[in-house]
Amino acid sequence: MKIVSRTGPLSLLHAFMDATRSRAVVDGAVARRERPIGLYVLETGGCEGCFMEIESLNGSAFALEQAGFVCVSDPADADWLLLTGAVTRVCAEMVDRVWRAMPPGRSLIAVGACAVDGGPFPAGYATLGGLQALTPMRRSIAGCPPSPEDILRALQELAQA
Amino acid sequence: MIGMGRIIRSGERVALSHYHLDAEQWSAMLSAPGATLPLMSCWADDGRAYVLLLEGDRPLLASTSVEDRRYLAPSSRFAGAEWGERVAYDLYGVEAMDARGNGAPALDEGGWTSTWPLSSRPGPAAGGLRPLAGSHLLRPEQTGLSGPLEFSFDVLKGKIRNVDVCAGGAHRGVVSRLLGRTPEEAMPLVSRMTAGGFVAHPLAFARAVAQARGLIPGAGIRDVWMALLEIERVSLHLFDMARTARGVDAELLATHCDHAREAIARACAEQGVSRRLMDMVSCDGFREGLEIVPLAQAVHAAMQPRLAALEELHRVFAPRLDGFAVLDARLAERFAVGGVTGRASGRSMDMRRREAGMRLEALRATGSSQGDARAREGLRLAEIRDSLKLLERILGSIGLEDDEPAPDRTEEGIGVAEGARGDVWYWLRLKNGRIENLYVRDPGVALLPVLGAMLRGYPVSRVPAALGSIGLSPAGIAL
Repeated sequence: MKIVSRTGPLSLLHAFMDATRSRAVVDGAVARRERPIGLYVLETGGCEGCFMEIESLNGSAFALEQAGFVCVSDPADADWLLLTGAVTRVCAEMVDRVWRAMPPGRSLIAVGACAVDGGPFPAGYATLGGLQALTPMRRSIAGCPPSPEDILRALQELAQA
Repeated sequence: MIGMGRIIRSGERVALSHYHLDAEQWSAMLSAPGATLPLMSCWADDGRAYVLLLEGDRPLLASTSVEDRRYLAPSSRFAGAEWGERVAYDLYGVEAMDARGNGAPALDEGGWTSTWPLSSRPGPAAGGLRPLAGSHLLRPEQTGLSGPLEFSFDVLKGKIRNVDVCAGGAHRGVVSRLLGRTPEEAMPLVSRMTAGGFVAHPLAFARAVAQARGLIPGAGIRDVWMALLEIERVSLHLFDMARTARGVDAELLATHCDHAREAIARACAEQGVSRRLMDMVSCDGFREGLEIVPLAQAVHAAMQPRLAALEELHRVFAPRLDGFAVLDARLAERFAVGGVTGRASGRSMDMRRREAGMRLEALRATGSSQGDARAREGLRLAEIRDSLKLLERILGSIGLEDDEPAPDRTEEGIGVAEGARGDVWYWLRLKNGRIENLYVRDPGVALLPVLGAMLRGYPVSRVPAALGSIGLSPAGIAL
């Protein structure tokens, strides 16, 4: 990114140009879809590291939408539920509520070690210990935490599969 | 007239800063005339109740025995003790007598496998989830935070009058998982307490362990720890700035923050360490192979040229944050709110200033103390500049010796680290080399009692933007 080093009336324009010039792009071919895949992200009791990496992926430094995905704020608009964190017993109800609000054809994807098998937070008095023990797991993204690039690459592979 | 500090020191000294009081002394402390020492935290277990106070910039820990599962409530004197008393009841079933507040659960929303799970005599499971009181709810997935925290509000004519918080969704039973482990076995989990402190939490823990063992880390280790903490500070400030900016539709500022934070993450990865500096701190130093000089230089080179743009964009968008989510200076002092949120409200507490070897000349950040989101955002930016200066100073004199004497080995230690979001505290007691007891205080806990005042008068729809501007981590609060 070219850096704005001046101040004054033109600085905002330069900042805008810098942000535009350094817009992230997706490496490689992207399968064209009629509409982007809607992602709803839910943290269910981890350290928040995976959630924050997805937030980074959804920020300006990555080209999530160019890759055919969009983060949505309403589960009714979501195709995939990205779950981060070990599932605490209190959060199980939230997961169920969000899952039922999603339209048919929905998919559940565990992002990060906690969501897969509990990671450092296996089953205990307050935790259920990850999705692996709760439901047949076909889609997951490993890492503690996985980087935004890792997550995006895995999402693209899942979309192609 | 005997002040609070003297009353505490009249008790039995059991560790460097820890005094055990009998019931009479505890009661006298709670009704001591004169000034109230700032409360950093309050907790209790089956055997003892504790208050961690600050005397000047030094910690002072007082404890008393829990008799028949009851103890005299610290909240009768320290308003900020209420959350800790509620947590202690949820985990251990010990009751604070004469406590203020409604005594509602802090963590136990139902659904656990037992009641009072950490007690020596846990009860049967309570069954299903308990609904929160309040006329309006903000579900955990609606808060805009990184983790599950549930809010209930009393709302009149569309405006918030009162707020209650339950953090059960984010509670993972961390303390129960750490007890009985050696500090070295515990460190990987401590390093995953919260992404709001991948360095700050393990660093505070390592300092507590060193004190318990009667050790002082060498000057080289101390400087590596300091440098890691500053890198984390820059990265997290950028994260919180981006979130705050998006809360007021300042997308251009958020974009520049995103790119800067990603540039730091990449600089870390290129130097062979994790993007967010996870697992860098160990009990006696740092991860083998970590080369702090090239790492700090790479981060500095990635960040320094971006500051001018961020400052200019902050100037453009800051008026949108004027007067938003104000924390009054009096409340910041009363509840010992730390970090950027406390300092932006005029509470001049920065635990880095008391650290041996600190290059104090680099810590110059000052700014508005209006207590609003604009003051917090401006201070984050100023602190990023300070962090870069501090990295320069550390690189210029790394390993500078300091004459700090080692404490006596007492098997008990208190450690603190001034993280990006405030002061992180650890207290632990070792027995036969293993953790017999432990307490963790994340800076987010101090924000809970002031949320009501900060959010009063706003519609519920503005709550996510307000929460984003104070950098709250449910994982840190609930553990």
